Parts: sequence; structure tokens; C-alpha cells
Amino acid sequence: MLRSTFKNLFSHPNTKRYPSVPADLPQGNRGRVEWDMKKCIWCMLCQKNCPTGAIKTDKAGKTQSVVRNRCITCGRCVEVCPTQTIFMRQQYSKPAMEPEIHIYGAEMMQWEYRVENLPILNHKKKV
Amino acid sequence: MSRISTIPFGPQHPSFLEPLHLKLNLEEERVVSVELSQGYNHRGMEYAMEKDWKRDAFLSERVCGICSFHHGTTYCQTIEAIAGLQVPERALIIRTIMLELQRITSHTLTLGHIAEAVGYENLFMQFFREREEFMRLANLISGNRVHYSMNWPGGVRRDISPETAKELENKLDEMLPKLQMLDGVVRKDSTWLKRTKGIGVLTKEQATTWAVVGPVARASGIPYDVRLSGNAGYHLEGIRFEPVWREEGDCWARAMVRMDETLQSVDLIRQCLGQLRDGPLVAQFKGHPNGEGFSRNEAPRGELMYWIRAKGESKLDRVKIRTPAFVNIPPLAEMLPGCEFPDVPVIVVSVDPCVCCTDR
Repeated sequence: MLRSTFKNLFSHPNTKRYPSVPADLPQGNRGRVEWDMKKCIWCMLCQKNCPTGAIKTDKAGKTQSVVRNRCITCGRCVEVCPTQTIFMRQQYSKPAMEPEIHIYGAEMMQWEYRVENLPILNHKKKV
Repeated sequence: MSRISTIPFGPQHPSFLEPLHLKLNLEEERVVSVELSQGYNHRGMEYAMEKDWKRDAFLSERVCGICSFHHGTTYCQTIEAIAGLQVPERALIIRTIMLELQRITSHTLTLGHIAEAVGYENLFMQFFREREEFMRLANLISGNRVHYSMNWPGGVRRDISPETAKELENKLDEMLPKLQMLDGVVRKDSTWLKRTKGIGVLTKEQATTWAVVGPVARASGIPYDVRLSGNAGYHLEGIRFEPVWREEGDCWARAMVRMDETLQSVDLIRQCLGQLRDGPLVAQFKGHPNGEGFSRNEAPRGELMYWIRAKGESKLDRVKIRTPAFVNIPPLAEMLPGCEFPDVPVIVVSVDPCVCCTDR
């Protein structure tokens, strides 16, 4: 034990300085869900199968939205999607000060999204 | 005659990860009696699980963070038992690999925390450093670090590719000497032995009376392991496996059983990787489960049981979970009286009290 103690005393730390050094994410890591909106056929299967109710499909407004804090990255939506519209990116979403909804629209650029805050929390703030 | 003083220990205490309250009656520095109270972490999991049986495959993992895959697997086994599904062999092997991988992460966490309670911060850091590598391996296979979301009634949702299997095998070869070094410390180090040997003894008779399970029972001389019984969903055909057990029943024996099981799990994963054959991953079934089912599994803390009554729709009638920590925590009332006050955290942590599991 003493030998390993002295070895550790003069070696580099095992941890990484994360924001400046990229995180060591293994292949196939479930980071966050994203939509490739050109392929979407509005079948609403992702919304029906989401176990936490994080996904909402707006068929009339042609948008898909996900509440990032509710998403547990289980990958169920990716599994049930018939056209491979949903994609699981390896990187995690950025930290935020408030719960965020990420909205993907049909007319937006590929992988682009709009950020909105949760409406319930905004309401609470006013009171 | 000396006065008896009462000291509340917990629910917020540096040596406890989770809220558990002990009311200690002390005569000078010696514990005379102890009262336990639980329930600070009740979340109504059993009721929440009645809502939708498909959602429960993910919700059941949230019962506990350290044995999440065991909870998910046991839930899926129960649904399979109700629906009469035959799980493909490949899915069983992948499940066994993940169960053993999680057992390693859980045991290294517990051993690290016993080391911390003993005051051996160096060993604590080393255990947690090795644990991180196994967490990364679990991430590599399942895609997530803690809640793997990999189980589904009928099989598993993610496959182990040949490259992943190779990386897993290489990493295990790399990690085994490090674990063996830590095993030597737990077995022989004088500081560690002074704080753990002969402390918090639970004899075989007491263990039988209190019906303890898992490593606590195995450290008290009861060679009982659910993995060997047919009811657990383990793939153990053609795999060499014998339960680890000891007779001392003290804190050191409990730590030793966990350390030996960690090394045994590495061996089990290697044997399972050699048995991976091509085949389907999930046995599909349509409709909703109807009827009663029961299943159990060997979680890192002991025998985990699920009993479910379904009524042929998406809602379940009743879900009953019996977690191993629920039976392992009460014997503290037998172990603590007679010990010194500074030994209390060591004894409590050595039974691995997962309050998250216990309160549900």
C-alpha cells in the first residue's frame, strides 16, 4: 500500500480538467435525442412511447419538442421511430440555469433547434 | 454505576450516504442498545409502478441507483414469468455480463465506503478510482452510466458488438492486477484489520433468526446464493461458479466476501464473453400480461424479489418489491450493542444499508 501511495504522490491526477479537455465518452453513449426533421412523418409514436412524457409532437405546427430535464435518455423513441428521424447524439446537452424545452421545426436547418423555458416555471416566477 | 446517555446518529451524518436514523444509548463509550427508524426516503415507488407496465421497465431501475440493472432485470423476469416468455440465450448472457459488471461497481463502492468509515481515505480513493473504469465499461455496453435502460420484457435492447467484447476483455485483463492489489490490502493491511476484525459480529444463529441475505449472510457462514437456484434469470450453464462464504461474521468477513465476489465477477464476465453466440435479442409478445408472477435475483446486497399481479391491461394491479437491504438493516440492533462508539459507522456501512431500496 505504501508503494502505491508514493507512486500516486508523484503521478498525474486520475481525473481530467473536463471543460478544457474533451470528455472520454465511449462509442454509443446516449447523450441527447435530436430530430432530423426532413424525415419525420408525424406518426406520433415517439410521443406515445416516451416513458416520462418529455416529447411532444405538434402535428399542426410541424414541430417536435423535448423537455431536456425530463428526458432520461432511455432510447425508446429511437427504437420505435419507423423512419429513423430521431437520432441519439453522443454528446450531452449543455447545462442550463432553468429547465429547457428544445424545439425542432420542419422549416429549420438540420440539427437546429429553438430553446424555450418551461411555461409552468415562468408562471411561478411572476407570482 | 454510570449514566446512560442517548445520542441520535443520523439521518444526516457524514458516514451515511442516505438517511437512516439510529438512536444510540451509550454507557460511557460503549453502546448499550439501539433503536432504528427508517422511512425518510419514501417515494411511493410501488404505487407509481402500477400505472403502466411498459414504463416500469425504466421506472423499476430508479428504485435504486447502485443496483439499477438488478431491479430492471428482476422486473422484466417477472413480466416474462407472467407472459410465459422464453428469453433468448444471447439476451441471458448479456444480462449476466451486465449484472456482474454492476455487482463490481456496487461492491467497490461499498468497500470504498467501509474504508472511509474506518478512516482509510487512501484506500477509499483507490477503490473509487478502479470503480470509475467499470462504470465506463458499463457505459460502453449500455450507453448510460447509472441507469442503463437496457432491459425490456423478453430480452435486452442493446447488443454487445465483437469490438465491444474485445475492449471489455482487454480492460478486464488490465483491471484484474489492480483489484488483486486492493484485495491484498483488504486481506492483510494492519490498519484495516485493527478497525474491522472482531467488530460487529453476527453469528450464524443470529443470521438465521434475522433472515439476512446476500454478503451479510455469506459472511456469517450461510452459503446461500440465489444465482444457484433455478428461479434467477442467470445463464450459468457451462460456467464454473461457487458462492463465496466465510464463517467469522465480523466487518472484515463482510468486506472480504465482497472483495472475493468482485474478483469472482471478473471471472464470470470472462466466462460469459466466451459463451456469446449469435442469436436474437428480444422475444416479442403482443398484448398485455395477465395473471400473477414472481421472480428473484441476486442483487449486490442479496436476494431481490418482485411479485406482480397483472389484470390484462396497461395498468398493473399490484407490485410488491422486497429488497435485500430491507432485511439486512434490522440485524444492526443485534450487532451494535457492546461495540465502541467510533465503530458504529464501520458496522453500519459494512452491512451496506441501501436506504433507497429499503424505503422505496
